[in-house]
Amino acid sequence: MSRAGRLPDALERGRAASNLADPVEVVIRASGVQKVYGRSSSEEGGVAALRGVDVVVASCEWTAIVGPSGCGKSTLLNVLAGIDAPTAGTVELLGNDLGRLDERARARLRLLRVGFVFQRFHLLPVLTAAENIELPMAEAGVARRDRRQRSRELLDFVGLGGRTDHRPPQLSGGEQQRVAIARAVANQPDVVFADEPTGELDSRTSAQILELFSSLNAHGTTLLTVTHDPEIARRARRVIEMSDGRIVSDGRPAR
Amino acid sequence: MFIALLGVLLLPLPVDPGILVERRLAEELPASVGDTVIARVLGGTAERAFVVAGIFERAPDPNRIARNDYEVRFHLPDLEQMLPDHDRVDRFAIELRSGADPEATARWVESLAFGTQVYESVTLADRSSTTFRVVSRFHDAIGLVTLLASGIFLLCLMVIRVDGRRPDVRTMRLIGVSRRTIVSAVVAEAVLIAAVASVLGVAMGAVLTFGVNTYFGAYYDTTLRFAILSPRIVVVAASLGVALGLIAGGLAAVRIVRVPPQRLGER
Repeated sequence: MSRAGRLPDALERGRAASNLADPVEVVIRASGVQKVYGRSSSEEGGVAALRGVDVVVASCEWTAIVGPSGCGKSTLLNVLAGIDAPTAGTVELLGNDLGRLDERARARLRLLRVGFVFQRFHLLPVLTAAENIELPMAEAGVARRDRRQRSRELLDFVGLGGRTDHRPPQLSGGEQQRVAIARAVANQPDVVFADEPTGELDSRTSAQILELFSSLNAHGTTLLTVTHDPEIARRARRVIEMSDGRIVSDGRPAR
Repeated sequence: MFIALLGVLLLPLPVDPGILVERRLAEELPASVGDTVIARVLGGTAERAFVVAGIFERAPDPNRIARNDYEVRFHLPDLEQMLPDHDRVDRFAIELRSGADPEATARWVESLAFGTQVYESVTLADRSSTTFRVVSRFHDAIGLVTLLASGIFLLCLMVIRVDGRRPDVRTMRLIGVSRRTIVSAVVAEAVLIAAVASVLGVAMGAVLTFGVNTYFGAYYDTTLRFAILSPRIVVVAASLGVALGLIAGGLAAVRIVRVPPQRLGER
């Protein structure tokens, strides 16, 4: 596959029903975010992964977070996505103060308005490609027939229309990642978080994945990508560079 | 003269009285219905011929299973005539017609002869089955221990199975699948395992019951049932199995959903 297929209508028909805050122009607003690992929550007693990060991500942006290993990129992604709680500071995701949401509400927010793509795909091996895509829709209460239709549309979109009933072990790494991307956008999220989405892929497959991301972003999906891949950083509209738990530069990528 | 002779000829020939013989004895003799046998009371000298009127299967009785004695049923007057002391009876059984009052009958029989004591069959069965009740309690205890051990085994199995799926659970939690959904899935799986195991257990129990009854039935030549798989036993065992599955699945599920999703990748 050299180019992403047509984006399914399902992604453009509006969002899944949600009682969470309405769509906003600012997707992420983080202020003074600190994250310390270890027994003590103070910097003296633990390992500080984030040291006072401020960041605002607007709707429809494609932001790449780059930096050396251990600089806090993935920790920042987890905190911004509501997977992990900051030790200090506040994070607003899609107008919701994550510090005020309980685990159930955060999970609901992730389910309905956030998508995730992981480095190692994280597909459920016992489910087929279509069933993996249907999983978040089933949890969101989408009717079985609609789930089926949308999962097939999404598989067509990522160029895997003929692999509906294949299980992850029967798919290549690139194909698995494409299924993971389809799963990430199954509930038509406002924002997709991707942690090293091309980290396990060769350059040709990475290029295909980037095409998919470009297509998603072009259709209005906000992307936040943690990466070591210079090609992702080049194609993103904005690059945040981190070092030692801090943002050291923030701007448009060098072309 | 002719008339008198005819009268003699028309008189019925003396016929030996009938008796009922237990099947095992009939096979041992061997004797079949219509055969004439000679009976003598142990220790007595009087012999008498009887016609085998029928062959019966002795009622199964665990108290007599190891005793190799045989049973013959006489009409009471025939038996009385054979006994050395015609007016002496150690014990006898009375079968009542449906609707008869056993209490009133007992009082009436006891009033007929001084010193006679009448017991209902339920009371006698209760007295004679004390040993078997103890054995039955042992069986209950063994069953309980087995079920508890199975429950612990199921819990370990579910913990291992769920632990092996930490990455999957992590993924589900990260993409927003609720704890409740995950707990429900794990519990449903555990209950399914327990239900399938219960069905297999009942099937195995049925096969074993059949095997035990067939083997020991042949060994002791009896219709006594040595092992019983009653509907009550099936219901109790299956219910306990499913309940243990529910508990095991619930504990395993709660254990894993309490771990924050980002830590589920850790070992």
